[in-house]
Amino acid sequence: MSALAEKLKSESAVDRDAYEKVRKLGQQRLMQYGFPTLKTEEWKYTSLRLIEKREIGDRQGQVSPLPEFPLEATVLHFDHGRLVTSPDGLPAGLSLNPMSPDAIASKDYDAIYGQQSAAFAWLNLARFQEAWKLTVSGEQKLILAITTSPEFNGEAFPRLHIELAPNASLELIEYHRDEGEGLVSVASEIELGQGGRMQHAIRRDNHESVWVQRTDVTVGRDADYRVVAFDQGGRLTRHDLTVRLEQSGAHGEIDGLVVIDGSKHVDWHTEIVHATGHTESRETFRMLADDNSVGVFNGRIHIYEDADDSHSDLNTANLLLSDSARVNIKPELEIYSEEVTASHGATIGQLDDKSVFYMQSRGLSESEAMALLKFGFAAEPLEQMGAEVMREWLLTELRAVL
Amino acid sequence: MLEIKDLHVSVEDHQILKGLNLSVGEGELHAIMGPNGSGKSTLGYTLAGREDYEVTSGTITMDGEDLVEMEPDERAAAGVFLAFQYPVEIPGVNNAYFLRAALNAQRKARGEEEVDAVTFLKSVRESLKELDMDEALLKRAVNEGFSGGEKKRNEIVQMAVLQPRLAILDETDSGLDIDALKLVAHGINQLRDGKRSFVVITHYQRLLDYLSPDHVHVLSGGRIVESGGPELAERLEAEGYGYLEKAS
Repeated sequence: MSALAEKLKSESAVDRDAYEKVRKLGQQRLMQYGFPTLKTEEWKYTSLRLIEKREIGDRQGQVSPLPEFPLEATVLHFDHGRLVTSPDGLPAGLSLNPMSPDAIASKDYDAIYGQQSAAFAWLNLARFQEAWKLTVSGEQKLILAITTSPEFNGEAFPRLHIELAPNASLELIEYHRDEGEGLVSVASEIELGQGGRMQHAIRRDNHESVWVQRTDVTVGRDADYRVVAFDQGGRLTRHDLTVRLEQSGAHGEIDGLVVIDGSKHVDWHTEIVHATGHTESRETFRMLADDNSVGVFNGRIHIYEDADDSHSDLNTANLLLSDSARVNIKPELEIYSEEVTASHGATIGQLDDKSVFYMQSRGLSESEAMALLKFGFAAEPLEQMGAEVMREWLLTELRAVL
Repeated sequence: MLEIKDLHVSVEDHQILKGLNLSVGEGELHAIMGPNGSGKSTLGYTLAGREDYEVTSGTITMDGEDLVEMEPDERAAAGVFLAFQYPVEIPGVNNAYFLRAALNAQRKARGEEEVDAVTFLKSVRESLKELDMDEALLKRAVNEGFSGGEKKRNEIVQMAVLQPRLAILDETDSGLDIDALKLVAHGINQLRDGKRSFVVITHYQRLLDYLSPDHVHVLSGGRIVESGGPELAERLEAEGYGYLEKAS
């Protein structure tokens, strides 16, 4: 067992409460597999030394205020891992309840999480304070905010399961912001029933915390899941996003944008699974890395045997804005079916001198030209957001950043 | 208006221009012709201020001001415009947005008021119409997915909107069919107002048939080796540049 696992293990982890069974499972798997090291393939560019060096305390501080959001929608706010808004009084079609111990224990986590690379998902399972289930029917809009306060130096393990009923539609803004220095490990599951549609915007602007997140999406028959993420990362951010096209007619799209500077480290591992035929996916992922920042993108397309008539396209383009910024990218295609189309492309480059000169020759200063080029490059994934209000919000956020 | 004296320019340690002299008066249109590799595009890039095009000696002044020391955007604000031989595609940057940002950056640098969106769109739409270009191009990214001819015409649209003092057109006619060539020539002629000056770099006499240049120069080996009127272009069209080799 690694020192890290030892450090994060505590007697109180296995609470004698209704969730005991599942917490024990998390604890056992964590002890069994341990935390990943740089030798673990899925973690080879992301070191966890920062956690080992940090003193994890128990300060929580005041609940963080939220910014204004463009959607007129219900806000579910998790601060330091606990729901701080009322689960009652939600609009018709939305209901939020603590997950029943049976429901949470009934899942096959070994199949969902796997082993060592999912250590933080196991950790969440061992340590979550609250587990919520949100059920969505009809057409809904929702804001999910996960924050920590400036005083926060502890651990937070938000856990949420979102279930879209057949033909339900959800526009969701998922907003993350830390102010403190602690460890946050988020685990969420999203399930789209038959004909469900979801537009999901993830916006993260973190600072000093270690933030590890796992999102497992399952897309049912003829359902459509699209996520657009605009991530400014933090001191150490890792997000594992799996979109599983479970049934025929399922459609999944991931558009990601990472903009980092300073000494931020952001690691995205995405996986789109074509578990059956007649499924389609598309993914675009872009990173702009400045100063000493490090970006990691691993995008995997996995097409099962017999998943004929599956179509997938994965594209990643990356800009290095300084000599010491780094990006590590790896598109992976794992295809076991023959009657499919799958393509991928990956580029890493710098701002094009010719373009800068062209723009300068029309009157823009060098810095204006570079800002416009960066914006043009970065905006593309965000423009894929279908819900106009959310798209404009993401673009406004981007303008403020570049 | 434009005075180039004994201009020497090197690119990555290769001397390309070797003592070029050129004097362009207000309102004049000068054509620069010459064989491949003679330094025509280098002249265009040097005037616009491209990095790596190093002026090793000589001077370039416009209205008495030293251009060499100015950044490309400062030159643009002073009224220099280069229509690129290969206009650059800029993915993700909206054509209309870019052009208005450029216009307003120039105006700001000159201490003029910015142009509002309505006035701007009106003027750019007129220019598009003159050049028989689809307005939808305004909403697309700069030059992205444009055909070769559309890119060249887009350069002329930019020129019409930016209203430069000195326009340098680098092989704007290459790759154009006859109809597009006429449109481009028309676009240039529309801007000839007796004050604005033009340096037109071309391989062919065809464009000059529509432009009536005041002076035609032959650039070879990095300097102007012959100057004359429109008849010089006709002679080159008929005889080619072979005589240059014989002379050297």
